[in-house]
Amino acid sequence: MASSSDYLSRTKRQYLTSLILMLLAANVILIASWITLKTYLHLNDLGYSIALLGVALVLSFSLAIILSNHLIAPLRALWQLVINITPAGGLPPPNIDQLKIGRELVADLSAKVLQLTMTVANAPNQPGSELSVNFVANNLPLPLFVLDPVETIVFANVAAGKYIGISTADMIGKNFYMVLDMSFPSENTFERWLKQVKTSSATATMSWERVRLNVLDNHPTLLFDLAAYYNKDNPEHYETMAVLFDHTKQYSQDDQAVSFVALSVHELRTPLTLLRGYIEALEDETKDLGNSDLSQFIEKMNATAQQLSVFVNNILNVARVDNDQLQLSLNEENWRNIVVDAVNAISLRAKVRGITIETNIAPNLPSVGVDHLSIYEVINNLLDNAIKYSGSSKVIKVDAHLSKEGLVETTVQDFGLGISPSIMPNLFTKFYRDHHNRSQIGGTGLGLYLAKAIVNAHGGNIWVRSKLGEGSVFGFSIQPYASLAADNKNSDNKEITRGAHGWIKNHSLYRR
Amino acid sequence: MDNDAQITLGDTVRPADSHPTKKVLCIEDERFIGELYIRALSKAGYDVTLEVDGARGLTLAQSDAYDIILLDLMLPNVTGIEILRTLRDPNKTPHLKAKIIITTNLEQREDVRQDIERQADGYIVKAEMTPRELVDFLNNID
Repeated sequence: MASSSDYLSRTKRQYLTSLILMLLAANVILIASWITLKTYLHLNDLGYSIALLGVALVLSFSLAIILSNHLIAPLRALWQLVINITPAGGLPPPNIDQLKIGRELVADLSAKVLQLTMTVANAPNQPGSELSVNFVANNLPLPLFVLDPVETIVFANVAAGKYIGISTADMIGKNFYMVLDMSFPSENTFERWLKQVKTSSATATMSWERVRLNVLDNHPTLLFDLAAYYNKDNPEHYETMAVLFDHTKQYSQDDQAVSFVALSVHELRTPLTLLRGYIEALEDETKDLGNSDLSQFIEKMNATAQQLSVFVNNILNVARVDNDQLQLSLNEENWRNIVVDAVNAISLRAKVRGITIETNIAPNLPSVGVDHLSIYEVINNLLDNAIKYSGSSKVIKVDAHLSKEGLVETTVQDFGLGISPSIMPNLFTKFYRDHHNRSQIGGTGLGLYLAKAIVNAHGGNIWVRSKLGEGSVFGFSIQPYASLAADNKNSDNKEITRGAHGWIKNHSLYRR
Repeated sequence: MDNDAQITLGDTVRPADSHPTKKVLCIEDERFIGELYIRALSKAGYDVTLEVDGARGLTLAQSDAYDIILLDLMLPNVTGIEILRTLRDPNKTPHLKAKIIITTNLEQREDVRQDIERQADGYIVKAEMTPRELVDFLNNID
């Protein structure tokens, strides 16, 4: 079988032969014209030269046109072929049989071009390229998951198996959210993103930082960044791809700060439990003695132990706020009950200082969307402050009502020392305390900082009005449950999860 | 309800007779806390058994002789979480009538805590509840 270079030299020979033949023909015509002119026309020398020049000119033009047509024909055929096979098309395939010069060369080149385009078009189905894709995916040193349109894992690479601690065979065919129970630092979770892009995009990419893999307690927690790619029209249903970038070591150092506080809290709580238990037992055993001094001592001990208990919770929660780990579960609650509970819980502390708390709660308040324990601590901290800064005043007023904006507003008012205007802007800052009173009044400057973080996480506001020597009013607003639920109407769950920038569960599957 | 208030309702009626005596297993390694709980619960008419060791506590719990189990999480030998898991595993504990109340001072990450709460019938931070308040809580869990 002849090779392309044979066709090329054959074409070259054809060109050469044609050229020589044409030049010979041109010479013959010129000679013939010369003889004809000499024989039949009787011209002078000038006229004779002009006539011969005219014949030569006509001959040259004709030859040039014929030659160029012949020479360009193979090139035109190739051009027509290339246009024909490009997706835009627009030209019929060339008729190579009509070529007089270079037919074999053009046929050979056409066949090669066609073969090349076929190879490119069928590339993904070729065993060779499949192998290379698998090789890359399998050996990528990052955990990689590929999901189908219903979030079933259709592929997980070796690194994914190692990272999660489940063999890849055990993961494939399972729901992604069942295999990876993830928590995200904001409400923009992987699941929410995927739901949204499925309805609005053909392709999309997204990344998240500080994703946490929730594992059972005897496994180390994994912390990572996550990147995802979505492609709606993938013919193989490889719709979503997720890659994990491990940062467990780096991120868990932040966690350790909280762990240390949590451990300290545990060590503080055990003696506190005992103190409170024995104070109560002592109260039981001595109440029939009728010793009023003893009863008062016990009451004061009890109030002090309660105060310590609030403080211990405050330091834990401040650590959580500072490390983005305070998580709130907003539920529908009766606001009156929460305020009354909080006031009752602190009444002993008020009583031992001779302070009365007057509570005024508007009837028919709408139910609120709050995290019971956290919001209770807000009221507790505001009341605790009011007691501390009451001075010689003996009344604290608690008021709850519906504001003009339709928010549930609660105020705690004391008639004590008041706050000087110069320090008002720093009041809700951590560790900030009124230096005028620092020596007389105990406290850490955590209470208001925490109260603000919790109220803000509820989507509410906290504020203060005060006049030196006349007392202070601290107030905060929270949303009625109905408006909160309207904002979250896509959620299938009655419970709404919020962070103070805290962890949000990826999937309702794992919510209580 | 204050227990003494119940006693004064009728001098011949002991509180234990006002309802069938409930058996409580308290698995708690801090002995003083255990003693305070025994004192308060016995006064309220409960029959309390205290166990300070996790492994022995689990064996007692699996005997299914109790109505309420107060379960601390930090325990020697077998942790409270392992006990909880074993008691909730039908292969290891085919039948358990007791309500399991976690009593701990340990702070968990929120999601871990929720996982524990899901498996238990109650979750109490010990420092937040005096023994008398614990009695009130147990009186109301049915």
